Amino acid sequence: MTRFPIIPSLEGDVHVILVGNPNVGKSALFGALTGRYVEISNFPGTTVELSTGHTDGMPLVDTPGIQSLHARSDDERVTRDILLERGGSLVLQVADARNLRRSLLLTMQLAELDRPLLLDVNMVDEARERGIQVDVVHLEQLLGAQVVPTVAVTGEGIETLRSRFQTARPVRHRVRYDAAIEEAVARLAPLLEGRDGDERAIALMILAGDAELAARCGGAHRAEIEALVARTAERYPRPLHFVLTGQRLRAVDELVAAVVRHPETRQAHAGETLGRLALHPVWGVAVLIAVLALFYLFVGRLGAGVCVNWMEKVFFGRGVNPLATWLAGFIPVPLVRDLLVGEYGLITMALTYGIAIVLPIVLTFFIAFGLLEDSGYLPRLAVMMDRPFKALGLNGKAVLPMVLGLGCDTMATMTTRILETRKDRLMVTLLLALGVPCSAQLGVIMGMTAYLPPAAIVVWGAVVTGVMFAVGWAASRVIPGERSDFILELPPIRRPQLVNIVIKTVARLEWYLKEVLPLFALGTLLLFVLDRTGALHLLERWAAPLVEGGLGLPRATTASFIVGFLRRDYGAAGLFALARAGALSVPQVLVSLVVITLFVPCVANVLVIAREHGTKVAFWVVGFVFPFAFAVGVLLHFGLLVFGVHF
Amino acid sequence: MLCPLCGCEFDETDHSCLSECPMAAIQGCNLICCPNCGYQMVDESKSGAAKLLRRLLHPPGDPGKKEPTP
Repeated sequence: MTRFPIIPSLEGDVHVILVGNPNVGKSALFGALTGRYVEISNFPGTTVELSTGHTDGMPLVDTPGIQSLHARSDDERVTRDILLERGGSLVLQVADARNLRRSLLLTMQLAELDRPLLLDVNMVDEARERGIQVDVVHLEQLLGAQVVPTVAVTGEGIETLRSRFQTARPVRHRVRYDAAIEEAVARLAPLLEGRDGDERAIALMILAGDAELAARCGGAHRAEIEALVARTAERYPRPLHFVLTGQRLRAVDELVAAVVRHPETRQAHAGETLGRLALHPVWGVAVLIAVLALFYLFVGRLGAGVCVNWMEKVFFGRGVNPLATWLAGFIPVPLVRDLLVGEYGLITMALTYGIAIVLPIVLTFFIAFGLLEDSGYLPRLAVMMDRPFKALGLNGKAVLPMVLGLGCDTMATMTTRILETRKDRLMVTLLLALGVPCSAQLGVIMGMTAYLPPAAIVVWGAVVTGVMFAVGWAASRVIPGERSDFILELPPIRRPQLVNIVIKTVARLEWYLKEVLPLFALGTLLLFVLDRTGALHLLERWAAPLVEGGLGLPRATTASFIVGFLRRDYGAAGLFALARAGALSVPQVLVSLVVITLFVPCVANVLVIAREHGTKVAFWVVGFVFPFAFAVGVLLHFGLLVFGVHF
Repeated sequence: MLCPLCGCEFDETDHSCLSECPMAAIQGCNLICCPNCGYQMVDESKSGAAKLLRRLLHPPGDPGKKEPTP
């Protein structure tokens, strides 16, 4: 028998292995079954923590939540190894009654192990509240294994579950794959050494690309196994694990159609149609363009136009700034007075930029973004993004951190941990730093497009996405890595609720102002010190060949680029103020907007890169991104000149 | 709380991103991360303005006090 790593606290026979997708209530069930005593230990060679305990005198282990047995992450590898190592154990799978499709996909893989399996359909109370009905008796008949409905948090059904431990049996219902897969499995299984009854499951895992298992179980036949997998893969246009998942999903959909009843409503029907349209290769693009156009009208025209105009000219121009200047007149120290209401004053610059310019823009942007989130369009946008990324050969899994970057780049940089190889993580970190603005920054950048005609906005969009794709393409050529698919559960299209949008927007605004105003103040203080010491004038002179000669921008934009190093949106706000004052022509707005969009998002992002990948990589990323942003700006400036582009 | 990206429902009290982000160490951060996909949202329960607004929109005794899920 091929041995796998053993958890020290689980020496001896393990009788119950708790398995399930993330967030199905596994931990609650573990608590309900074991009581309070829990032992936590790391799986050998990993940082994955396992909880172990006893139920009715039997050892029980809670494995990490997984989507499948195709081991791509440490969590999946650990769960796979425990299942393969503990051949005589009972598999207790926890399923989510609200989303049985996802859970049954895992059931189909667990069934292939040919172990006694007990299916716990958990959270039936929440499913009932949503009008979802699961016919447990029929599911039991179809699977040929025992199924128990529970509500783990209240203890409902737990005693019934315990009473079934001794009578659990393997799942009878198995996925029948197409002829080529079945033939490959039939040839692979006899080549596996030292296995006892789970050859079919292991053969399928190896076909799905589990090279580690091929090495462990292949023994003297390893080369033969690899050749067989390669020959099978050649018969399909898509990766084998994708083919296997597709065939399993078809089997699962038949089961779900037979045992799950969803409430039928007219709104749900319309939502399904909209959802399909948003994912359509042609109509999906049309929907995306329509969404962007509405965004532009709402954020660019209303937020950055009408609202900023009123805030800057009326509220600050006639109210706050004259009042602050009058009050500052009582301050006897000129330096302190200038620090508050001077050219680089905390009130006249930091507060005016933060409240008069940025606030109306992010307010309208957060409303629009909240509508996108609550409507269920955001995950569909992620799926749409997956296609062009994959066409470039980029790892499909890399799309998720890129989408998460729209929330917060700093946190998205941390989620690059889900990527398998260090090279993948570095590549996505670089792309995040280069061209994915967080929602607030995107709002300010979009607000700046209010000063551009539609043709110039198209050029800006084309340059930024072109740069992203070029860097992504170049990186994917240099860094081959393993291609994996982007798996995201698509929630239904919903009608957003006004109260939720209002509360969400207010909470976001509060968070944003708390985070940016101190940084805006810090940036202004930096400019004030540079100005007072004469360093700003020197910097502007030194930067003149680049800013004036290379980018074709006025010298005054240097200050915006300096604060842009702290936060991309502060730099954008400075450029926005210059554009409003008429100091920038349309080509100059375009060039400056491209440069600031490609800046590193914020200081926090650099700190996280240093923490996740080391100081050297952080320096490398910063050292690449800033010169690259300026280089693209210079190329664009001269490109516009050479081709005589006028907007 | 319902994640707008993956639709996962979770208890926001257990999923603060606070300890992860360097900004949090400097000035605090009210973002929470979806435990399923990692998407970041603002924790409305930590926003004073959102709490006040919720009280205004749903005064005590209002059956609609419980925030509807999107």
